[in-house]
Order: sequence, then C-alpha cells, then structure tokens
Amino acid sequence: MPKRLYDIAYGRTGDKGNIANISIIARTPQAYQDIKAKLTAERVKQQLGDLVLGEIVRYEMDNIEALNFVCYDALDGGGTRSLRIDPLGKSLAGALLYMEWED
Amino acid sequence: MTYRVGSAQGFYGDNVLSALPMILGGHVDVVCFEALAELTLAILQKDKLKDPNRGYTFDLAIIASKILPEAYQRKIPLICNGGGLNPQGAANMVRDTAEKLGLKGIKIAAVTGDDVLSRLEELNEKGETLAHLESGAAFQPGDYPIANANVYLGAAPIVEALKNGADMVITGRVADPCLYLAPLIAHYDWAWEDWHRLAAGIVAGHLMECTGQVVGGNSLAVIDTLDSRDLNKLGYPIAHVEADGSFILTNTPGLPGIVSSETVKEQLLYEVHDPAQYITPDVVADFTTLKLDDLGDNRVRISGVTGKPRPEKLKLNLGRLEGYMRELIFTVGYPEAWKKYEQLKTMISETWRGLPIDRVEYSFLGINSLYGSVAPLPADPLELVIRVMFTAKDETTLKNAVRLMMNNGLSGPAGMSISGSTIGADPRIILGLYPTLISRDHIMPNIAYLEV
Repeated sequence: MPKRLYDIAYGRTGDKGNIANISIIARTPQAYQDIKAKLTAERVKQQLGDLVLGEIVRYEMDNIEALNFVCYDALDGGGTRSLRIDPLGKSLAGALLYMEWED
Repeated sequence: MTYRVGSAQGFYGDNVLSALPMILGGHVDVVCFEALAELTLAILQKDKLKDPNRGYTFDLAIIASKILPEAYQRKIPLICNGGGLNPQGAANMVRDTAEKLGLKGIKIAAVTGDDVLSRLEELNEKGETLAHLESGAAFQPGDYPIANANVYLGAAPIVEALKNGADMVITGRVADPCLYLAPLIAHYDWAWEDWHRLAAGIVAGHLMECTGQVVGGNSLAVIDTLDSRDLNKLGYPIAHVEADGSFILTNTPGLPGIVSSETVKEQLLYEVHDPAQYITPDVVADFTTLKLDDLGDNRVRISGVTGKPRPEKLKLNLGRLEGYMRELIFTVGYPEAWKKYEQLKTMISETWRGLPIDRVEYSFLGINSLYGSVAPLPADPLELVIRVMFTAKDETTLKNAVRLMMNNGLSGPAGMSISGSTIGADPRIILGLYPTLISRDHIMPNIAYLEV
C-alpha cells in the first residue's frame, strides 16, 4: 500500500455556492512542516483533476497546523444546481487525502 | 461567572429537541437555533406560495410546543432564524401555541427587514447595481424568475429584542454566527466597535452553528474513537464565554460525543475561505491569531481571537429558479458492460432528440460518482450502475423524457434494468444562487413584539 496524505493529515470539505474549501489538518508538528513545504496549490489542483475547474488558493494556519484550500468552480454550479450525487462536495476532501505521499 | 450559549439546530430538519437536556440540566443561559442553509429560503418560498401564512420552518412548531415552555419557566431565551421568509407568521404561530399552553407574560419578537424581494426594482433605482459578487456581471432582472432575495442581517436587532425582554426571538436571514454573537453582546454589553470581542463571539458561533459537527459528527478525527452507536445520540455544543470573549467549548454534559482540539480544528475551517478574513455583517474575524487549549474531558479553550472593522456592505443572496432536474439509474452487468453503456447512451440521445433538454450527465455509482477523473475506470467491470442526470426548464419535458425512455424497456442493451424508485421520483428544482452586495443604508430591520 502506498503512503497517502491521509496517513499524516485529515480534513473536511465545506461549501459556499460553487466554491468548496478543503481543510487539511496535520496530525503532528512534523507533518505540518511537510505539508506546508510540499502540498502546494498546484499539486492540489493536479490531484483534484476535473473536480475543480477553477483556481485553487492556499491559506496557511500555523496556529492550528492546518492548510485551507479554497477551490473555485468546484461543485458543478453549486449545491442547489449541481448534478453530482454529492452536490455539496461533502466527500471532496477524500479525493485530496487519497494523494500518494512521499516523505 | 461565564455566560453559557447552547446550540440546538444546524439546519432545517435538525434534532431541535437536543435543546431539552441543555435546558432541563441547567447547562445553558440561552439557546440558539440556526435553520437556514443557502438553499432553505427557496424551499420555504414554495411553501409560502401555497399558503401566505407559511414560509417558516416546521421545526419552530416543535420548539414552541416542546422547548419554549421549559425555557420560559427558567428564563432562558431562545433565538431562531427559522422564521425564514415569514418571521411574523412564525411568531403568530408561536404566540398561539404559547396561549394554548398557558404561558402567561411571554414576549415573542419577530425580526424582519432581510427580505427585499419586493424591493429589487426600488433598490436598482436607488443606485444598487446588484452586480454578481464573484463574476462582477451586471444584474439582468429578466434572466430567471427570482424565488427569494434576502440580505444577511447582523446581531443588532436580536440584541435589541433581548434587551427589551424578549423570551423568544424569531428572525429570517441573519448570518449564522451572528445568531450566537447576539446574546453575548446583550449580556456583556460589548461595544459595536469592540472588534476583538465581537470576533471571539463569531468564532464561538461559527464553531457551534453546525451542532453535531463539532462533537464528533462528520468527523475523520474521531473515526477510531467515537462509538458508532453514539452517532445518533450526540449531545450538542455549549460555549462557556468569558467577558473578554475567550471561551470553553464543550458538549452537553452526560451525552455522547467528543470535543477535542481535533474536532474543533475540523469545524473551525468548515465553510471558510480566507481564515484571516472571516466576513460577517458585524465584524471581520481573524482565525489565525487564536489559540486552542485542549483541557481534556471534552473541553477546549479558545482565546486570542482578533477582529477587524465590519464590512461596509451587506451580502444579499438571490435564489433564481433556473429549471428542474431528474435522475434515472440504470444497471448493466458482465459481459461487455462498457459496450452496453455506450448503447444506452446512444439510445437515450436518439430517444430524446427534439426534446428541449438542457444537460445530460452520466456517472457510475461506486466507481467515479464522487471523484470524477480522480477515480480510475476498471477495464472490464462485472457491474455498472449508471446514473443519468438531466435537466430542462420545465417539469413536463422531464416527465416526457422519462415516459419515452420507458417505452424502450424491452428494446435496450442486453440485461439492462432501471431502478424503479427513480422512475417514480419527482423532478427537483434547480436553484441558481446569485450573491451580490448592498449598502447598509437601504436595510432597516424591524422588530415586532407579540405578548401573551
């Protein structure tokens, strides 16, 4: 089994209109240093593929050792319009936590 | 003495009876009920069109009959934004219930002024361009029928109602965390420019506004530690707030659930964009300065929240009726599952040729319906559950589309079946949310008091 982002972090998705935010919360201080250094917005964009059509912006929260990724045009028009089976993107964080992770 | 704020509702349909153990156990000084997601007001508009006395959430009837008598007896105010599109109608219903229950002397406040549906033209004439908040595109009134238009109000009218002795405050669209900030301002007399304290109250509200989500619900952090048998019995959160704004977040004593640094972190970032600029009508809160201390025993202390002056403008959300959507689920199996899928797709497009259908989307349940291109497709699957979603401006087109497909029942790909429950389902409304900003000068909240 490859090591995955989920092994060093957990997270949750939230929605506002057609924007999803994915929090990635480090399990240890070392894990936070790792994700802060390597989990760039570009890598997240690459991992999420056609789930996110717009830009992805990364915010850092050193105080709680977490990153927040704001994903634009990420919910097929938003929860009230989306044709996806998970219109609010409740499970979206999982697509990112599934990323293979090399130390 | 701290001031204790309980949260007993996080959406329309939540278990509002979770307020009872808080109240009966003497664990809270006020209870807030947050009922309005972005979509909820448009759902309530459908009710109101059928009956002008409606347009508020059904949960309010439960709050009035089961919770209010206990809360009133103990002088614990209740605050709820479930008045939706008709806070006055909701207050009338609550008053009638209170009268029947013999709750003499009770005072109910109805806060209105957020609903600007009938004022859009007037606001346009007064110079509000109502340009789209994200795209900047100009507002075109004739684009789609507008179901609702509600401004996000802040805490002020609730504070005023509480100071005037209201036992229950019913509002329409108030920004979620401001429901929880309001009783803190009323109790501690925080100034309207005391940005750090206001922001601390917003963080408390933000952490509690999704009830179960901060005590172990929707949580990866506690997936190994929370007993599954407790998921449907979680206590709902309570904040013990100091005069300086710092607070301890905890669970309802005696009830299952986990409040830890981990669950608080999950909820802190839920539905947040820039964590240094969490914009509310009353203050812009900065989540990047705060400190979490896990005190153990389901208690987490939050301190050091800072705030910046409130935004100049208020957010206005319009809900536009853009059409209807419908779902059909087909199954095909081995062999040649992919070929059968291609046959089905072709049959659908041939069958619906000429119908005014706007969009058709295909996904495979259990394969890529959640994760799209992130999920690899199997080469030769044993089974495919094909979900077809399609949309049209009107319901009749969708009904015709389903009927025409049913005519093909015995002519489709080998072994194809259709999920019966999707054949009989009703179309769902497609609602386009249109966010914009509006000047505060045009919005004057009104408070009406009803007494028994």
